[in-house]
Amino acid sequence: MNYALIALGITLIFAIMGVLNFAHGQMYVLGGFVTYYVYGVFGLNYFVALAASAVTVACVGLVFERFLFRRVLRITTREESTMLLAAGTALLLDSLGLALFGEKQRGVAPVVAGVYEIFGAFVPASRALIFVLAGGLVGALLLFIQYTRPGRALRAIAQDKETAALQGVDIDRYSALGFALGAALAGLAGGLLVTVFAVNAGAGTPISIKAFIMIMIGGAGVVSGAILGAFVLGFSEALGYFFIPGSTTYLMILVGLIVFLIFRPQGIMGKPWG
Amino acid sequence: MRLRVAAALVGLALYLVVVPFVFRESRYLLGILTTASVLSLISLGVWLTFAIGRINIGQAAFALVGGYTTAILSVKLGVSFWLCLPASGLAAALVGAVIGWPILRLKGVYFAMITLTLSEAARLAALNGGTITQGATGILNIPLPGEVTFAGVVLVPAFRALNVHLAFYYLAAILLVLGLFTVTRIASCRLGWIFRSLRQDEALAASIGVNVAKYRVLAFALGCFFAGIAGAFFTVSQQSIYPSSFGVPDSVYFMLYCFLGGLSYVSGPVVGAFVLFLGFELLHGLREYQMLTYAAIMITMMLWLPNGLLSLRLPARPGMKADA
Amino acid sequence: MIVMEVRDLTKRFGGLVAVDHVTFEANEGEVLSIIGPNGAGKSTLFKLITSFLPRTAGRVIFQGEEITGLSAHLVARKGVVRTFQETTIFKEMSALENVVIAHHLRGRATPVGLFLNTRVARQDEATFRDSADEILDYLGLSRVKHEEARHLPHGHLRALGIAIAMACDPKVLLLDEPFSGMNPEETDRMVEMVRGIRDRGVTILLVEHDMRAVMRLSDRIIVLNFGRKIADGTPREIQNDEAVIEAYIGREDDELGI
Repeated sequence: MNYALIALGITLIFAIMGVLNFAHGQMYVLGGFVTYYVYGVFGLNYFVALAASAVTVACVGLVFERFLFRRVLRITTREESTMLLAAGTALLLDSLGLALFGEKQRGVAPVVAGVYEIFGAFVPASRALIFVLAGGLVGALLLFIQYTRPGRALRAIAQDKETAALQGVDIDRYSALGFALGAALAGLAGGLLVTVFAVNAGAGTPISIKAFIMIMIGGAGVVSGAILGAFVLGFSEALGYFFIPGSTTYLMILVGLIVFLIFRPQGIMGKPWG
Repeated sequence: MRLRVAAALVGLALYLVVVPFVFRESRYLLGILTTASVLSLISLGVWLTFAIGRINIGQAAFALVGGYTTAILSVKLGVSFWLCLPASGLAAALVGAVIGWPILRLKGVYFAMITLTLSEAARLAALNGGTITQGATGILNIPLPGEVTFAGVVLVPAFRALNVHLAFYYLAAILLVLGLFTVTRIASCRLGWIFRSLRQDEALAASIGVNVAKYRVLAFALGCFFAGIAGAFFTVSQQSIYPSSFGVPDSVYFMLYCFLGGLSYVSGPVVGAFVLFLGFELLHGLREYQMLTYAAIMITMMLWLPNGLLSLRLPARPGMKADA
Repeated sequence: MIVMEVRDLTKRFGGLVAVDHVTFEANEGEVLSIIGPNGAGKSTLFKLITSFLPRTAGRVIFQGEEITGLSAHLVARKGVVRTFQETTIFKEMSALENVVIAHHLRGRATPVGLFLNTRVARQDEATFRDSADEILDYLGLSRVKHEEARHLPHGHLRALGIAIAMACDPKVLLLDEPFSGMNPEETDRMVEMVRGIRDRGVTILLVEHDMRAVMRLSDRIIVLNFGRKIADGTPREIQNDEAVIEAYIGREDDELGI
């Protein structure tokens, strides 16, 4: 479920701006750190911490979009430029994290204690909480995209930027919104998971890779694809680790993915491309 | 034209004669120049894929293939480095050809993502390679290059007996010069035009009879060859190799070197690698802010110099471009 | 003499049948036009013949040889070359470079030979250059041959597209809407050009909407509607064919513009 948050975030950014947010993992880490500080160090309410994470990361996203991506998108003719800029921002956040937070891992105590038993399996209450919260957020996002005006604007841009512009949609404003929202989702995911896994400054890249894998599976730029990808990955991981301990699982997942992409490059739900 | 040749000769003299002589005792300086040279070589390989219109974030995988090939051959089978070197290049090229054939059908972001996956997959493969790759421990104690004799004459003395850093510097320099020469030659002959046609319009190229699949794989495999050679080099210069020796961040860097040096120029990746890598080292004094400043500088470059460093000084010579 | 046969060529996109069991023959040295209302499947037909789209069913036979299913570049190698509907040229090369590179099929040097710049490679280059000059001259593009292709005006781009196709030394040339967007003067010039190419011994298949040009140029015409062939004959026969008239009546009258 948490994966879905991450996948949705990066999908949103890709759908709206056509940019593959390399820094997504780093945004996740940033969110985790903010929650760590607000909740773990300063002792404020967990939900306040989560909100703080979301807002912080969203601001970062806004800054990136407004000052970096918008400019580059305007002055470049090549497709690669934005991708490389994204890679650059990832490096920036990575090193920023390292400089600000040091190399140590930070973890936060679970928000709720106790264990539930569901269908014969033991589920820690903290995980259940994360699941519920993440699910709620995903649901809220889906509703937002589907039914609200800004949501529809975002969808319009994702489908056809030019037409949307012709119809009067303020592309700049909504691009910023899309990016900020996508970033916020990553931050929230980080804030949620910091209660279970520790975060450290270097965890960004592997998370970004997972995000990429999810959208590759499900189809980049398609919301349903993101959720599908998240579930497929989560499921494969769980299944894999159960049968084959260690990192061989991931190797098999990757090989499987490569083979899958050769036959269906656009992912499960992706739009067929040129 | 004559100015260009003169500049090239001066550069070569500096690179191959002056610098090594002047700095022959400075281990550090020779070391970073050597590394920069080899990084340039790998980036040249990435440039080749840019030349056919693909964004390649998988180069680290092939460097790893090359590195492990050399490691395994020299440690487990006692093969001389001088044979391992081309073998590593060939191994990487072969893997590149096999994997490239199906994936080169993809373009743009999709190709980029799948190559990214390759980088990670290679690392995991090395990690889980059991006894062959020795997993996380890596392969250690890789012997230095031995001597090469022909008809009783020592052509290349064993590295053990030399100023090792100087020896590696020269090896890297020669490899880079050869690589640069190769790529320049390709870009200016009809092969370069064929690649250019692929980059600009694959469908049109097919309609004039270009065997698109074949030439794509050719370019890609050649790029992988460079990576393999470079991987082999690093393996012997570090005398070790680990699954994490080349990973996703490295692939991203190679791509950045090409881009920031200037994709329109064959020497772009070389300039990019040297300037950026040496720049990084220069920021050494900033310690924990080193990375940060570096990233900031890179982003600034992307904003202000979208066509790379070389666009500042030279207009692109027609026929040498690699950008879309 | 029949140079190309198309038998039952069919293309299905999911539920939509774009080309439906189309069968016809092309005679050597003739100009065969394929017309039909929008969406009739004409361009799709060309893409099928030259293997730019995989076919669902049917065969294409060229000079007695089965070329169905060959990859696109091999079809070109056999001598069946198409131009593209949207003017497609190599944008960042000059006109001359465009045509030179289009001689690819005539190259005798191997990739290694190219790299080493052997005598064969150099001979190739010289031959290509001369031939390119000649083609560009013939199509009236000599003056702009060093211009970057994307800066050329529309009419020149069309001519360049044809120049590229001609560099391949085709036996059958498939022109996809070469007259679109042309004023009467340009159209006349293009008609002359096409005639000239035919006179050089190239069989021409033409997809076009401009009826005037089609009627003037064609030896035979095939009419497609909804992917199916509804008529096949000389321009005169087609003009009077009921099925054809009916197919067009539902559309605007000026499409017939005879």
